[in-house]
Amino acid sequence: MIKLRPIVFAMGILISALAVVMGIPAVVDWLSEYGRDASSFAACAAFTLFIGVSTVLAASGGDEELDIRQTFVLAGFGWFAAAAFSALPFAFSDLGLSPTSAFFEAMAGVTATASTVITGLDSAPPGILLWRALLQWSGGIGMIAMAIVVLPVLQVGGMQLFRLEVAGMGRRALPRVAEILSSVGLIYLVFTTLCATALWAAGMTGFEAVLHAMATVSTGGFSTSDQSIAHFHSGAIETVLIVFMILSSLPFLLYLLAMRGAPGRLFADGQVHWFVGILAGAVAVMTYWLWHHNGAPFLAALRESAFNVVSVVSGTGFTTANYDAWGGAAVAGFLFLMVVGGCGGSASGGIKVFRFQVIYETANAQIKRLIQPSGLFVPQFNDRPIPDTVATAVMGFFFLFAVSFALLALGLSAAGLDPLTSLSGAAAALTNVGPGLGGVIGPSGSYGELPDMAKWLLSLGMLAGRLDLYTVLVLFLPAFWRG
Amino acid sequence: MIHFRPVFFIIGILLATLAVAMVLPALVDGAAGNPDWSVFAASAALSLFIGVSLIIGNWAPHFQIEVREVFLLTTLAWLIAAGAGALPMVFSALHLSFTDAYFEAMSGITTTGSTVIVGLDAAPPGILLWRSLLQLFGGAGFVITAIAVLPYLRVGGMQLFRVESADRSGKTMPRVAEIASGITVIYLALVAIDATALWFAGMDGFEAVCHAMTTLATGGFSTSDQSIGHFHSPAIEGITTVFMLLGGMPFVLYFQLLQGRPQRFFGDSQVRAFLGLYATAVAALVLWQWLGGGETFPQALRDVSFSVASIMTTTGFTTVDYQTWGGFAVVTILFLTVVGACTGSTAGGIKIFRLEILYVTAKAQFRRIVQPHGMFVMHYGGKAIPDPVASSVMGFFFLFALTFATLSLALGAAGLDFLTSLSGVATAMANVGPGLGAVIGPSGNFAGLPDSAKWFLSLGMLLGRLELYGVLVLLWPEFWRG
Repeated sequence: MIKLRPIVFAMGILISALAVVMGIPAVVDWLSEYGRDASSFAACAAFTLFIGVSTVLAASGGDEELDIRQTFVLAGFGWFAAAAFSALPFAFSDLGLSPTSAFFEAMAGVTATASTVITGLDSAPPGILLWRALLQWSGGIGMIAMAIVVLPVLQVGGMQLFRLEVAGMGRRALPRVAEILSSVGLIYLVFTTLCATALWAAGMTGFEAVLHAMATVSTGGFSTSDQSIAHFHSGAIETVLIVFMILSSLPFLLYLLAMRGAPGRLFADGQVHWFVGILAGAVAVMTYWLWHHNGAPFLAALRESAFNVVSVVSGTGFTTANYDAWGGAAVAGFLFLMVVGGCGGSASGGIKVFRFQVIYETANAQIKRLIQPSGLFVPQFNDRPIPDTVATAVMGFFFLFAVSFALLALGLSAAGLDPLTSLSGAAAALTNVGPGLGGVIGPSGSYGELPDMAKWLLSLGMLAGRLDLYTVLVLFLPAFWRG
Repeated sequence: MIHFRPVFFIIGILLATLAVAMVLPALVDGAAGNPDWSVFAASAALSLFIGVSLIIGNWAPHFQIEVREVFLLTTLAWLIAAGAGALPMVFSALHLSFTDAYFEAMSGITTTGSTVIVGLDAAPPGILLWRSLLQLFGGAGFVITAIAVLPYLRVGGMQLFRVESADRSGKTMPRVAEIASGITVIYLALVAIDATALWFAGMDGFEAVCHAMTTLATGGFSTSDQSIGHFHSPAIEGITTVFMLLGGMPFVLYFQLLQGRPQRFFGDSQVRAFLGLYATAVAALVLWQWLGGGETFPQALRDVSFSVASIMTTTGFTTVDYQTWGGFAVVTILFLTVVGACTGSTAGGIKIFRLEILYVTAKAQFRRIVQPHGMFVMHYGGKAIPDPVASSVMGFFFLFALTFATLSLALGAAGLDFLTSLSGVATAMANVGPGLGAVIGPSGNFAGLPDSAKWFLSLGMLLGRLELYGVLVLLWPEFWRG
């Protein structure tokens, strides 16, 4: 039997924290004289705080630590509850979203996906815009914390590879964890500040700069305009965003090591090499395609392909062009790039680069073994042999991803979507990228028009994708709840 | 050092066999008074000449064949068979370009069934027979490869199907040869039964034989541009559905049936999963068509059961344009295309046994997550799955996805639209035949594609047929070294 009290207690704390964050847009709306939205935020915050505090009080007492199964439950339901309570302001604000749309928007926020159902962002009240950015920002740091501390312990999809690194930093695990988390939080905050300052210097207003910085560092991708970054028509802003999108997709643990005097690790890391290599290759090919095949001038082609490729691979989902209309190879290319994702240990989504490394090394060793059946070939990751269990877990993740993708796409098409929308929608949700492909949900479209059924399926997809699939799917296993 | 002599020797035998087979269409065309007979006779003479020279030039009293020679041989055999099969098509009355002819021959020998020929209904009988014969040979060749060669090469988990007692007794070859010849007999017997049934159901004798050959090979070449839809006959569709399904199940198990052990056949986990998946897909699409698409129930059942069998067994016959069934049907068919049927049959795709192994592995992982210190042994068909099998199956799955992505990007770069490139690669790598979209869909044709796309697709067919590793291994520098 799983003891629920510690889980409920932790969720109460999470909900109360959310209520406090909800106070910020209330103040902003009040200051900018959007009285009605200010009071709806205040009311939602009060309600959320009430639920949160009563949960904490009801479940307090006793301070046992969470075991593995409790952690799974907390991770799955914590994210779900966060989305449910964050949806309140969307439903009760001036936008008047339906409960389905509000939940979808909130889930897209906390999972740092950039799919939105709201059109008319440019004239939306500041409180709502700030709330969306805050959701992504909190979701982003939550994800990084999970990727560094929780997922390696849960041994989800090969994440145990990164446990060695944390453990290698000291003997006593727990005080270290708290220390690591606060340092990583500090780095996150510094990145956000730097990004906001740079964006402001490049020409955004202060409010826009802060919101976009939050959506960038969390690789979220919510913007303050329906046209996303294309609204600003500014090469400087795009350059700043490219730099910070890349920085936010690298493993945050490496920044920590760099801060502690080992900056070499950042440049020697195999995953970083692969990530930069994939980006460079994809940008080069896409630029060539735009320049040579579509006849765009070279610099314009480079600018558009660099921004949109980085945005899709990092899982951010900002757009400056309707890459949907770039033609066959580009469309297929974006679909596959979506799936790749950033590095493990960052806020970005997708299958993640280290898994491709592990699988590549394993497949390479296998092929060599086919040629020389008696030879000994050991696949390696960052100069260490990859344990068999890690290789199996990574490959299992890959299979699970394919199955989830197939089922989600089937579900979406049964809800009435066309093939391109179902396939790309499933990919964009599972990888937390955001915009899909095609006329409806493409870079210049919106999820607002989709049937409710599709929105629920996509919300589930975003949650499962964010928690590396296993963490959510394990909850559906009868054996999990038994014994 | 790789020994090329035995490789060329066996290729010589293959070419000589193909040359003999080319005599059949020559005779048929001669009897029908079609001038193409001379093309077939000349191609036969050329192939025979090259084949016999290779045999004589590389003959040796004692051969040494090892793993690397076998890898090289399988890939070369398929490449060269497609080349020889293309000869009559280039010079026949159809006047195909070399690219088109090679694509058509590769599609035949890999039992894919994608065609570039328009106007099959009016084509000379020799060429129609030759296309069917290519698929018949390709199907037999693949079943024997899957039983005798791939397990030995340990390709993509195929070591699981190693002929039992093969390792120790030292009498490996006689046992394998015995099984291979037994399977060939069963294969030909099934073709004969199918042809007779089709003839009774209303096809003429020639059509019946041609279709029977491409049905059991799960190939899908037809004698009409409208494929099986041409006949408008529920009986023909029913018979073809049954024999496609038979062609998609492990041929070794038919021994068990013949020896009066049906429980071994129906108890086989691969057969059960295959038939279960087939039934589920049919039920879902029948409901979708009946309740949502406004078809009558019997009509929906007829169309769906045929089309799903044709896609899952990677045959590729069509009776209706299933793309008009809407998004759900299109997405379902796209995924079923890559699934394929059972290992040990003539069908292509990822194959049911691999999906079963992946499923069992994923399940064991979930349990390991819940109980990190538990011991979990994975079982398949009542036996424990050795670790190397599980990981080579997963490696296969990854390579499949990677090859799929690379080839569809290449097709996109060759100028095809999104759905055409994605479904084109799926249909080629799984050796199915028709893709999706207006160009290569069930009522379309591959003739309109640019030449580069045809070569990419031919490569995809070859890669899919030889289970990827069989070809990709040749690209590793280690293969050629030392």
